[in-house]
Amino acid sequence: MTDTIVIGAGLSGLVSAIRLAQAGQSVTLLSKGLGGLQLSQGTVDVLGYASERVDRPFKTLAALIKTDPHHPYAAIGADQVKAGLSWLTQALPGLLTGDPERNLCFPTAVGALRPTCLYQPSMAGGAASGGRTWAIVGPRQLKDFYPELCAANIGRTPAPGGGAITARPYRIDLPARPGEADCSALTYARSLDQADFRAQFAQAVAAVVGDEEAIGLPAMLGLNGGDGLEAWRDLERRLGRPVFEIALAPPSVPGMRLNQALIALAKAAGVRLVLGSNVIGVISQGWQLQGVVLRQAGHDQRYDADHFIHAPGGFESGALHLDSYGQLSETVFGLPLRGGEADDLITGDYWQDQLLFKVGVGVDSAMRVLDEAGQVVYHNLHAAGGVLAGATRWSEKSGEGIALGSAMAATDAILKGQ
Amino acid sequence: MRKLSADVVVIGGGSTGAGVVRDLAMRGYRAILLDRADLAQGTSGRFHGLLHSGGRYVVADPGSGAECASENAIVTRIQAHAVERTGGLFIVGPEDDPGFGDKFLAGAAEAKMPVEEITPGQALALEPRIHPGLKRAFRVQDGTIDGWQIVWSAVASARQYGAQILPYTKVTAIERDGQSVKGVLAQDLKTGEELAIECGFLLNCAGPWAGQVAALAGCHPVEVVPGRGVMVAMSHRLVNMVVNRCAKPADGDIIVPDHTVCIIGTTDIKVDDPDHLEIPRREVQQLLDAGESLVPGFRQARAVHAWAGARPLIKDDRVASSDTRHMSRGMSIMDHQDRDGLSGMLTIGGGKFTTYRLMAEHIVDAMEDKLGSHHPCRTAQEACPGQEDAHNYQITHRLAERETDRLSDQTICECELLGRRQFVDLLTEFPHATLDDLRRQSRLGMGPCQGGFCSARAAGLAFAEGKIDIERATGLLRLFLANRWIGLWPILHGDQVRQTVLDDWILQGILDVDHLPAQTQEVV
Repeated sequence: MTDTIVIGAGLSGLVSAIRLAQAGQSVTLLSKGLGGLQLSQGTVDVLGYASERVDRPFKTLAALIKTDPHHPYAAIGADQVKAGLSWLTQALPGLLTGDPERNLCFPTAVGALRPTCLYQPSMAGGAASGGRTWAIVGPRQLKDFYPELCAANIGRTPAPGGGAITARPYRIDLPARPGEADCSALTYARSLDQADFRAQFAQAVAAVVGDEEAIGLPAMLGLNGGDGLEAWRDLERRLGRPVFEIALAPPSVPGMRLNQALIALAKAAGVRLVLGSNVIGVISQGWQLQGVVLRQAGHDQRYDADHFIHAPGGFESGALHLDSYGQLSETVFGLPLRGGEADDLITGDYWQDQLLFKVGVGVDSAMRVLDEAGQVVYHNLHAAGGVLAGATRWSEKSGEGIALGSAMAATDAILKGQ
Repeated sequence: MRKLSADVVVIGGGSTGAGVVRDLAMRGYRAILLDRADLAQGTSGRFHGLLHSGGRYVVADPGSGAECASENAIVTRIQAHAVERTGGLFIVGPEDDPGFGDKFLAGAAEAKMPVEEITPGQALALEPRIHPGLKRAFRVQDGTIDGWQIVWSAVASARQYGAQILPYTKVTAIERDGQSVKGVLAQDLKTGEELAIECGFLLNCAGPWAGQVAALAGCHPVEVVPGRGVMVAMSHRLVNMVVNRCAKPADGDIIVPDHTVCIIGTTDIKVDDPDHLEIPRREVQQLLDAGESLVPGFRQARAVHAWAGARPLIKDDRVASSDTRHMSRGMSIMDHQDRDGLSGMLTIGGGKFTTYRLMAEHIVDAMEDKLGSHHPCRTAQEACPGQEDAHNYQITHRLAERETDRLSDQTICECELLGRRQFVDLLTEFPHATLDDLRRQSRLGMGPCQGGFCSARAAGLAFAEGKIDIERATGLLRLFLANRWIGLWPILHGDQVRQTVLDDWILQGILDVDHLPAQTQEVV
């Protein structure tokens, strides 16, 4: 028996578990997988796009709440999102920087300029503005980064505030491990954590770049040294100018940095982590949830708690499911879903947001799950993160804001005894 | 305007046109093949990949069955690399009439098609996932083919004999000299260049589009009845042999293991326009139900892609025009001299992929009859180039290649185990290609992730290798993603939804491809 069970090891689950444990609760975190953070780009997005690119995320968020009452932010409220950002920045000192009130744009591997408000110091040099001159450098052995494509698209995209960025591509030929032509960003990160390899790497980069004011490299600049950023700091020293990381397809090294820092905090706060555990049953009485049953090696195991935070993610994790007959379900508790009534949940236009991906659970301001009639399903069940209905998080760039805001709202409700 | 001349112009770069141009060139004719799109981009690239044993036809049409049986052996020999000798099963399911099995055996004997009845237990030992309630099973020599590779290897042979192959070249006019064909005007759609081709004979092998070509020549309307067939690919091979339902042909009665996937086919609905083939959810549901009856649990497997092809049937008065499956599957040759008073042009309708070589032989024979000349057909004896070692396709070939070069080369597409060198070679060989053209060559993006990881790599490589400019590279990426979606959204369910959301997280969420600069002109 613990005070609270948290389901899910992504950003919202980890933050909820740590916050409750730090407040003195006994917390068990159950997770089927390793959490979504390691797939993410490692920034904290609040709102990147509404109808246009967003410069002032909280200003646009306030307007969004008024026009779209089904958006998760409407239930969460701007204050909880701000509180979440502030909590995370303080929980991970030195790992996140930026101004929550203002989006900056950072280049991605294909050369798009992507808006976000909090970012890692190793990305800061890539804040786009007109007149900058960048060297974009990548090793031939990394198949997920083509400096030519990245630089050319940066160069033809108007920078926020006007003007253009001059970006020049350079190639280096240095495998992360000797004799390997196909190295992932993670392999590079592990090699770059070694001082010897770092010296070789810096030398190879210095040998090709021109007199550009900053150097952009794929997001792979170290993982395990100190706070995770030591390799990046050392590369800046060795190269004598700003060096910045550019977001890549997963595995995401910046996402892993956030993940391992939060896991360390959870362990330090006494959170009991049960990974690789699939919830297969639920025990409840009336409106009270009592426990969940986990499939574990050898036998099924029952876990009971006073409170539950459900943060399993959306369709990407399997928490939401669409079967071959078109039936939608939430696979852990069988919760009622919102947004699945439309006839055209999926359409043939790839570039249009699909209504299917806005399907999820509806919640009140305490993040308690509501049924179709707006009644609370279980008084002690709160939902957070990607399972919430109402947003296409990847397209509007709101995933972390929703995760953090809902985690704060859910944990507040538990701590205040709602 | 570029001027060319040929003895014969062939319109249509599907299996029929490719077979015809090879046969023509081998008989010594100077031939030019034109297609408005990529080779085998139409019907020949949109089927389930079955190389018929003949079993499908032996009951209703033993003659067709016999042709399939003999052509199966020939194609397996002359285009060995494009054929996988999977073998096939015809199974009488719990709901089916066991008496049909006797008709099947009798038809097979008449067609001289190799067949062996095995016990249900033996069938289950071969294919453990088929319905355990099956009543009878027959083992046949079905195989699977890669439609694109068959067509490319046939045109490669044609080229060796001097033929010219012009894909992405649209015929804009057919020129007549009074009562005979004089030549065609065409445009290269990739470069915009105009072509004038003088010729003595024209073979219309445009399949579902044959009516449009005949109209260009000013002929009386040729009524083509495109029969739309929907197919669904599953993420892996649920069966390793072709599994057929041993019953009167119906929708969804076959599962074909093809490369890394298996394909269930097919429906058959009469449509008007072969250029706009819908994939209705209703038909997808029908196929999933049919799959469930052949392989229980089919609905829980992961559907990754769907497509529709148009059967090229020319209208036949013997059956109601709305039921295209029961029209003659045989080919028909339409002589426009008798019909329209235009000499020097034949239009070909119908046919099946398995017998494409034989059809081509008949067509060229028919042309030679008109011309009063005769040269022997040698297409059945001589292997296509690159096939001389006669090794048939094996599903594991790419794995073997990657095992060899995994330290020295990158795997660009993990689902299909496509190597970087192979992809860059294709970029060099086809400088005007779209990523979809390269997909047909390499299977890029055709596996479970449907381009989630490989599409940005492909665009990056194409640009980094200096083959195209940045606007085109970015446009190709966008076009590829939009085109993959066409075959994804009609079947999206189950674990493929998870995959799609992961792909969206990567491409839209992390890389923000939807906010790259828009292209100023359409990418072709």
